[in-house]
Amino acid sequence: MFVLINQKTNIMKLIIDNLSKTYSNGIEALQNVSLEIPKGMFGLLGPNGAGKSTLMRTIATLQEADSGSIVLGDIDVLKQKNELRQVLGYLPQQFGLYPKISAEVLLNHFAVLKGITNKSERKDLVKALLHKTNLYDVRKQNLKGYSGGMKQRFGIAQALLNNPKLLIVDEPTAGLDPVERNRFYNVLSELGEHTVVILSTHIVDDVKELCTNMAIINQGQVCLKGNPLQILEGLKGKVYKKTIEKSELSLYKQNYKVISDKLFLGKPTIHILSDVDPRDGFSLINAELEDVYFSEIFNHTNSKSI
Amino acid sequence: MWYNIFKFELQYRIKRPDTYVFFLFLFLFSIVGVDFIFQGTDLGLMKKNSPLVIAKSMGAITGLFMILASMIMGVSVLRDFEYNIESLMFSTPIHKKDYLLGRFLGSFTVLLFVFSGIPLGMILGELMPWTAADELLDFNGFVYIKTFLLVTIPTVFFGAALFFVTGALSRNLVVVYTQGIFLFVVFMLTKAITNDFWQAVLDPFSLTTTTFITKSWTALEKSTQELPFIGALLYNKLFWFSLGITALVYGYHKFNFNVVKEKSSKGKRTQISEANAQDDNEVIIPDTKKQYGLSSKWTQLKQFSWFYFIGICKQSSFWAIVICGMIIILVNSVNLGTVYGVDSYPATYFIVEELQETSIFFFIIILVFYSGELVWKERGAKLNLIYDATSMSSFIKLAGKYIGLNLIYVVLILALIISGIIFQTLSGYYKYELYVYFYGFFLEILPFLALYTFIAFFVQSAVNHKFVGVMLVIIFFIANTALGLFGFDHDLYLFGGNSIGVYSEMNGYGHFLKPYLFIKSYWFLFGMLLLIIASLVSVRGIETNLIKRIKVVKYRLSKPLFKLACMVLLAFITVGSFIFYNTNVLHAYWTNSEATAFRLGYEKELKQFEYLPQPKLVDVNLQLELYPSSRGYTVEGYYILKNTNSEDIKSVHIQKLIEENITLDGLSFESGFTVDNQYKKYDYAIFNFNKALKPGDSVKMYFKQSFITKGFELGNSNVNINKNGTFFNNSDLPTIGYNRKYELNDADEREEYNLPIRYNKAEREAVNELVNARSGSDSDGLNFEMIVGTSKDQTALVPGELLKQWKANNRNYFHYKMKIPIIDFYSIVSAEYEIKKDKWVYQKDSIITPVDLEIYYHKAHDYNLERMMSSMKASLNYYSENFSSYQYEHLRIMEFPRYAQYAQSFPGTIPFSESIGFVLDIDDESDVDMAFYVTAHEIAHQWFGMQVEAANVKGRHFILETLSQYAAMMVLKEHYSEDKLLQFLELQKDVYKKGKDREASVEPSLALVENQDYVYYAKGAIQMYQFQKAVGEVNVNRALRRFLKDWNSRDGILKTKTDRYATSKDLLGYFTSVTPKDLHYMIAELFESVEPLKVSTDENNYD
Repeated sequence: MFVLINQKTNIMKLIIDNLSKTYSNGIEALQNVSLEIPKGMFGLLGPNGAGKSTLMRTIATLQEADSGSIVLGDIDVLKQKNELRQVLGYLPQQFGLYPKISAEVLLNHFAVLKGITNKSERKDLVKALLHKTNLYDVRKQNLKGYSGGMKQRFGIAQALLNNPKLLIVDEPTAGLDPVERNRFYNVLSELGEHTVVILSTHIVDDVKELCTNMAIINQGQVCLKGNPLQILEGLKGKVYKKTIEKSELSLYKQNYKVISDKLFLGKPTIHILSDVDPRDGFSLINAELEDVYFSEIFNHTNSKSI
Repeated sequence: MWYNIFKFELQYRIKRPDTYVFFLFLFLFSIVGVDFIFQGTDLGLMKKNSPLVIAKSMGAITGLFMILASMIMGVSVLRDFEYNIESLMFSTPIHKKDYLLGRFLGSFTVLLFVFSGIPLGMILGELMPWTAADELLDFNGFVYIKTFLLVTIPTVFFGAALFFVTGALSRNLVVVYTQGIFLFVVFMLTKAITNDFWQAVLDPFSLTTTTFITKSWTALEKSTQELPFIGALLYNKLFWFSLGITALVYGYHKFNFNVVKEKSSKGKRTQISEANAQDDNEVIIPDTKKQYGLSSKWTQLKQFSWFYFIGICKQSSFWAIVICGMIIILVNSVNLGTVYGVDSYPATYFIVEELQETSIFFFIIILVFYSGELVWKERGAKLNLIYDATSMSSFIKLAGKYIGLNLIYVVLILALIISGIIFQTLSGYYKYELYVYFYGFFLEILPFLALYTFIAFFVQSAVNHKFVGVMLVIIFFIANTALGLFGFDHDLYLFGGNSIGVYSEMNGYGHFLKPYLFIKSYWFLFGMLLLIIASLVSVRGIETNLIKRIKVVKYRLSKPLFKLACMVLLAFITVGSFIFYNTNVLHAYWTNSEATAFRLGYEKELKQFEYLPQPKLVDVNLQLELYPSSRGYTVEGYYILKNTNSEDIKSVHIQKLIEENITLDGLSFESGFTVDNQYKKYDYAIFNFNKALKPGDSVKMYFKQSFITKGFELGNSNVNINKNGTFFNNSDLPTIGYNRKYELNDADEREEYNLPIRYNKAEREAVNELVNARSGSDSDGLNFEMIVGTSKDQTALVPGELLKQWKANNRNYFHYKMKIPIIDFYSIVSAEYEIKKDKWVYQKDSIITPVDLEIYYHKAHDYNLERMMSSMKASLNYYSENFSSYQYEHLRIMEFPRYAQYAQSFPGTIPFSESIGFVLDIDDESDVDMAFYVTAHEIAHQWFGMQVEAANVKGRHFILETLSQYAAMMVLKEHYSEDKLLQFLELQKDVYKKGKDREASVEPSLALVENQDYVYYAKGAIQMYQFQKAVGEVNVNRALRRFLKDWNSRDGILKTKTDRYATSKDLLGYFTSVTPKDLHYMIAELFESVEPLKVSTDENNYD
């Protein structure tokens, strides 16, 4: 009885346990990564080369792990690949499209691929998804002429064909203009209600705007995980800001825990982390998610063990 | 600046494995290059490293692998587009000139490196231990270098320029590949040029060029002379070189440094304008059922097949191939079923054969490249990760691609069929016979392609490198072909099995079809297994390492796929066992070495009996029951053997035909006998008489022989006993004594086993053979009677007057008997026939002899019956008027399937292949009436062969064949004109020259000719023409009349006094007697020497 209940609660959870992967060139892409990802939008944040894509691809059955396990409900992802693929929607970081085919034809092709073999059902589904992703009016056009945003929306349409329980989108907003990005988010945001959605990105705003849970990953390790709001709580009253001269930057870096330096009107503005008020012209600010991100990366690169 | 780009290109290529793979490929291929290019052709006097042979081989290898040039040159600019760095490249401050020049020279240098594998490989090939020293001239490296510089480089340069430019301009890889086809089409087009000179100049691979410039050379010159690079060869090279330059200049002007292709930016490329973003939250995504069962797999398979099929259909390069394929038949089918310079009617099977031959190259290109394209399709579009993360089965996807590609073949096939029909229509031939098209392509070509496509998909899936995959497929293709050529051709391990036998309009595919289908099914099942394995090891996800891919196969093998694999494996084993049962259990399968060992043993153990005194056949009385549908017969009856020697004969040696389908039993002699079976292994039995056979005594020998077809056998199964069109002769029946035909014939092999040199014909003075009219002759004339039964729809024919014909047991029976003794040579023929009948009446000394003329022909082959019939009459007239009277009361021609291409004379009957006279499309204006001529030649054998026999020594064919040529020429001249005869002689000169070029040893004189048909047919015709021109037709005929009178086998004045047969020496005696003294030298010159041919049939000569 207990087991049954346990399964039921697990059914929509993705559990990653101690996942490790080392590439043949020695790069440790994943080191003992453990995550528990519930229904809803989950943001996976990390700099370029942090191991996000490796993790995403491993979950998406495209890559083998060296050790560890991934479980979605009662599916052992690493062994029951095909079972997972039946409930998986995946939008890779980079992908192309056949140039001489229209969106409608290709989407239809993918629908067959995913097992939607009833013709009339498929037709309705394709039509609905084209509407949903606002591609209906251009459905007859060859994909060659699609803009980056249209391409991404086509990508999401494709991923949704099989009504996935797990949706993985790998850096979907890279290269999109703000309007496109918003449009893309709109499509994505509804899905979290029924689905485990993993969104990997290095853009902090993406996570801020969409995700109910998140993790920060750097150099193959999870540095932080939790609810964005709670995480922000932890930095409350610890982040200070100051605008300085360029030449002073290295000095400040020696003396303070500088988590980020940005140019503001041509002058560096630094954020530092401090438990006490450092004075010295610093002013306390409300920590943003970005500060969390930078502080984690900062901590991580400075002291490898947290 | 260009130098930097050049250097960069070189450095890039040096790091690429392709460069070395290509080089190695050419190098390895060239080691066996000469043997490969010249396989099946006799080099004659030419050595394997004669400059001409080197030039031809190099030209051909260069042409064959021009595709490599396209792979290297085509991608050099294309690469920038493929890797999307063109914007980086073109926005740097380099000049177009530097960029293009650097790239071109860089990749051309690499190309030269790759192609230098050809001379290096050929040099090494020359030094290989398997090349015998006597096949070679002294090694001369300079020849290779010179040939490479002058033959290969200009061609390669042209190709390089063309491929470079098309690659840069089209920016499409497949367009680059199809250039290879373009060159091939050009090559084929030049073959249609009738002007030799222009053909020589325009041939892109200079193959015909070298033939052209050496046309007038003697064999010795061809063997040793270096090729002069002047004249046609120089023009040829200059032409293609300058065409290359033109291509480069054109490409330079057209090439645009813009990133976006101009054409598309002008035309369709409009950024799709988006409808205003609307709030689409209202859209409800309907619930759909996802199905993963079998029926859904089936739907997926259908959808995928169509999807990939359409994908290729949308490529213009594919349609370029299709159009080239359609054009080429229209150009290339100028010589259809040509016999002696006369074309046949464009019957469908000729068209199909022509289409098969020319299109196979196109199909292979499509196979090799599109299989690569298809396997890489998702990765090429960078869509692979999306595909890989879906639940779609890898097998279904791969199978879909497989079927899609096969559908592509079908499109090309249909296009070819349409062009074939167009060609037939244009030629005024309307019997389209769609089923022959269907069989020819869907039974022969498509299975071949389908099987190799399995290989291609397997290789491409496993190696994960497109070009290496392409090369491996080509290597596999060549290796498998070579395996077959080397005799490792058992259908169970030679991939794909052997091709189906010849299609005959009389017999269809006959009995070849059934085993063919089984063997194809066997390999198809094998291919299915390959495809399953391919789908399991194919790249899915980002792991490309093959070993790692193999490791995870067990996770990828789904239950339904496992079940399918097991079922296919089971079927594969079952069909394989069935084939094995047929080929190796029901039939003995002999490897080459087993066959050689058998022949060795035969000669070693039985040669002692070769000239053992044996009785001769004087009477043959048989009853034969033929069962065409089951391909069997039984024949029983008796021979009467007579001791014609001067001593007692204690034992008779009987050789059964060594063929496992045949059993001989119930062999017995009237008088008491015992059997000595110690040579049973060779189907050779010795029968010892209880009471010796005294000189002049006879004994009856009874026997029963059966031919039973069991299951099927490998490869060249018996094509004499057919469902429709049986034709065999008495050499299949028991013969007496040792049989030379079972000896090992190949000179090299004999040397290897220390056997004495075997001559095809004995010396003219060889006493043992002078008394033989043919090899191992068992008779000096026999009485013949035979009853033949066959199926109810067939007519059976053997020599003899038809005494009676009746039906019994739903079968047809025919009783034949010869009124006069015949030579020991008779045929048995049976088929479904139409009959054309006529009568010829011969009146001499107030005795009127009517002769029944009959032509038995296949229903559709009625084109030339009149010509053949008029030839029968004209020939009988001429020969009986000028030589002697015709000896039988019938003369029959019977058509047989085109498994053999000849006509052959037997007493009163002439089996005639369906391919050489019946379907010729003769134009009396431009052609020599070969149906008429061949008929006349064969009828002449009723005199030279049936009336007079020649001793089985050198010069035998001079008497039999050359005289028949002469006789037929005279009939041709009489019936048509001297001009037609001269036209015929022109053809004979070509035949002679070709034969002479192929001659491996020394050309004999006519008087001592052995088996050299170019001498006794072609040269014989020419010399006899000269001779009769000089001494007069009347005189020649007088000589022949005397010769026949003295030497005819039945009552020749001299023949009855001796037991030997006539030789060429005897014949020349008669020639001399009718020749004026001052022309006696001519006889020596024409017939007894090997002087070069006097190439003049001018009226003035010898007049």
